[in-house]
Amino acid sequence: MRIPCPYCGSRDLSEFVYHGDAAPKRPDPAAENASELFYTYVYLRENPAGPLRELWYHASGCRSWLIVTRDTRTHDIAGAVLAMESAS
Amino acid sequence: MVERGPLVLRPASAIPELCGSVELSRAWVLACERHPQLATVIAYKGRRADVAARLKDRYALSLPDGPRRATRGASALIGLGPRSWLFQRETGPALEPELSEVLGDAAAVTNQSDGYVVFRLTGPRVRDVLAKGISIDLHDRVFVPGCSVGTTCAHIGVILWRLEDANDVSVFELAVFRSLARSLWHFIEESAAEFGLAVTPAC
Ligand SMILES: [Zn+2]
Repeated sequence: MRIPCPYCGSRDLSEFVYHGDAAPKRPDPAAENASELFYTYVYLRENPAGPLRELWYHASGCRSWLIVTRDTRTHDIAGAVLAMESAS
Repeated sequence: MVERGPLVLRPASAIPELCGSVELSRAWVLACERHPQLATVIAYKGRRADVAARLKDRYALSLPDGPRRATRGASALIGLGPRSWLFQRETGPALEPELSEVLGDAAAVTNQSDGYVVFRLTGPRVRDVLAKGISIDLHDRVFVPGCSVGTTCAHIGVILWRLEDANDVSVFELAVFRSLARSLWHFIEESAAEFGLAVTPAC
């Protein structure tokens, strides 16, 4: 599998570290139900069959976090953007 | 009590016993260790334009916006990532304090002169040596002089760039973290053995 890094270009999978679903946002630790929110944030994940926005770290390249849209059924990659330039 | 003289810093070789496998006249691959001054420049959030303007002003260098290497005189600027660069200079006064002053509050400047070891590789078979460890297309027309890349070589993290050709032969430099330099050199020695490797300071 190759990942199209917006900075480096198309690169081999071995240069990247996988993090997972890009959707979960770190909850407010001061919230009243913080422990419940953190349980959800840390452990609960959807397991979709289809396109998923995921965080990948280009550890052996530009050392940037990417958001890669990958189809979990086919490994087709629809695109990749720098996480620092992505709204979410 | 021991009298101490003034501390004089000078480049120390990472591998004092650097040696090749054949004499120069029979070598198809030439290598040497360089001793550039190095510093990383990381632009603070929203300050990229300031960094670009100050480097242009002081060194007449254009900030690469991708994995490329810009040169002007003895100075070079290598794109490492969206907001980070490696400044390289083989001569002149201490680089890091100077850069810190030039860039001020626009960027984090960190001395890397002893952090990385830089090998220069050239010779008619240099691409064959690198191809055994690097998965990047280094073809003459693809990876042209001025290209740079952060990748792995034999599973070791490296920054690789191509200089201008010398006598119609391609010239590459590899920067590697100092503690991994012996491992990378081991790879170079093994990979180049079949072609004949010579170590020459003038490579
Ligand atoms: Zn990258």
